[in-house]
Amino acid sequence: MPEAKEALLKRLKAEARQVRRNVWRALRAGGGGHAGGSLSAADILAALYFYRLRVRPGEPDWPDRDRFVLSKGHANAALGAVLAQAGFIEDAVLDRFYGFESPFGMHPDIKVAGVEMCTGALGHGLAVAMGMALGARIQKKRFHTFVMVGDGELHEGSNWEAAMAASHYRLANLTAIVDHNKISQSGRVAEIIGVDPLADKWRAFGWEVREIDGHDMTEVVGALDALPFHQDRPSALIAHTVKGKGVSFAENTYLWHSNNVNDEILARALAELEAP
Amino acid sequence: MTSAADWRTRSAKQTRLAFGQALLELAERESRTVVVSADTQDLLGIRPYIERYRDRFVELGIAEQNAIGAASGLATTGLRPYVCAYAPFITARSMEQVRNDVAYANQRVVIGAAASGISLGVAGGTHHALEDLALMRSLPNMTVIVPADVDEAYKATLATLDIDGPVYIRLGGRTEEPPVSDPQAPFRLGRAVELRPGKDVAVIACGALVEMAVRASDVLRQEGVSVRVINMHTIKPFDRDAVLKAAAETRGIVTAEEHHLTGGLGGAVAELLAVERPTRMRMVGMPDTFAVVGPTVALRAKYGMSAEAIADACRAVLGSA
Repeated sequence: MPEAKEALLKRLKAEARQVRRNVWRALRAGGGGHAGGSLSAADILAALYFYRLRVRPGEPDWPDRDRFVLSKGHANAALGAVLAQAGFIEDAVLDRFYGFESPFGMHPDIKVAGVEMCTGALGHGLAVAMGMALGARIQKKRFHTFVMVGDGELHEGSNWEAAMAASHYRLANLTAIVDHNKISQSGRVAEIIGVDPLADKWRAFGWEVREIDGHDMTEVVGALDALPFHQDRPSALIAHTVKGKGVSFAENTYLWHSNNVNDEILARALAELEAP
Repeated sequence: MTSAADWRTRSAKQTRLAFGQALLELAERESRTVVVSADTQDLLGIRPYIERYRDRFVELGIAEQNAIGAASGLATTGLRPYVCAYAPFITARSMEQVRNDVAYANQRVVIGAAASGISLGVAGGTHHALEDLALMRSLPNMTVIVPADVDEAYKATLATLDIDGPVYIRLGGRTEEPPVSDPQAPFRLGRAVELRPGKDVAVIACGALVEMAVRASDVLRQEGVSVRVINMHTIKPFDRDAVLKAAAETRGIVTAEEHHLTGGLGGAVAELLAVERPTRMRMVGMPDTFAVVGPTVALRAKYGMSAEAIADACRAVLGSA
């Protein structure tokens, strides 16, 4: 019998809360880092890894696994958190972020179990994910490829090269998730270089678009259940999110795109992330 | 199946087309082969491949960054992508994708880079690639091959099947590369080929300059100068032994390449010798300038990339000029 909806949502919310706690824990170990973009992505990552992705933590190179590429690689702390919680890597790794020869620096490394590509230099992941989706089609494999991009990242023109090609090849096995938290390193994306009308841009590039509240687990799960949004087009899921979500002092400010984390800040953050 | 010895019956006369022809044999040998084009189907002569292997071909248009990123993604799924591209664009424009998605991620992506050097002379400086060797050989994990002629280009392309990592193959443009390598000799990655024995001076050359070096050697032999000619078809991994042996057994080294004098083959030789065995050297290649428009042969002569220039450099090394 399938998991009751209510129980599922409760479980995913708990995982997401744990992702947030682990993000702060990892960043404290590293002395600081990209809290804002990790926290805005936490709910979606939890839903992907604990509900949607067909992956095998004990067999990370399983050829038929679904792929997830974190193109906005600066959210590496959130990726490390879900990979640890899902059992791809040892939990203790989270206490060694940025350490000498640690598997985790500020950005993902393909050598780590469960990490599909070296990302974080922005504007790379969508093309790589498109290549994975093409690879699935050529080899007649059924896996689905997900890629998460940032909204500021969409300034990089290479994204639109990949977007154009993905719809040309009707890659319904590819989903791009935009973590639309509206803030980049220097301030509000709309004031740096605006990306609106964002949904129209993706549609114009031939993608089927759906917009959700990226922190409403019911909407997140509903969107993942609805994939592909079109049988003949790649899917774009624009998730409206809040940078720094879940911790009041980090929310909605570019100051927490990346910042130092000491014991006091860690304690304040964790206090806000207690179980309800 | 075409063997390396008889493939020329299909008539490629340029290294870029030899690469495209080799892909047909490669696909027969390796079913995971997939060819990626950046609107370069004729540039690398891959239409016969496309006709035969339509389901293992991806056209990505005039978007080099996307081509490299996608090739990396294809490689992660177990396929063996061969990217057909213009050398100037695939290196300079998509350098970050080559570095991160391919070299850093250590994916088995092979880049066939046509129109290197000033081989598209009349196209002008925007279409010349005189820094690509410097860029590619500075990347960890990357293998860099510069075939001297069509036979070597064909064999080198097949040899990439056994390379567990990214590869850059530097190919020419419209000007035909005269045959200079031994058609019967196997291609050995990272092992330089001695084309002429010699004890006075050694010319270490790559690409189109290899044939010029042979001509220079033949001219100097008549002057009583014994010039060793080494075809350094692999720039990385670099055949250190061949260079050190040449330095030990001759009175000086001349390097010759169709590339800026900074960072290419000459740079690689100089870096090695400066540390291991300081040796008299001269470097033949493109000076620190952008080329004017002109036919490739005329441009090579203007900028000192010719048999005559190599001979002069040999004389200079020996102190006789």
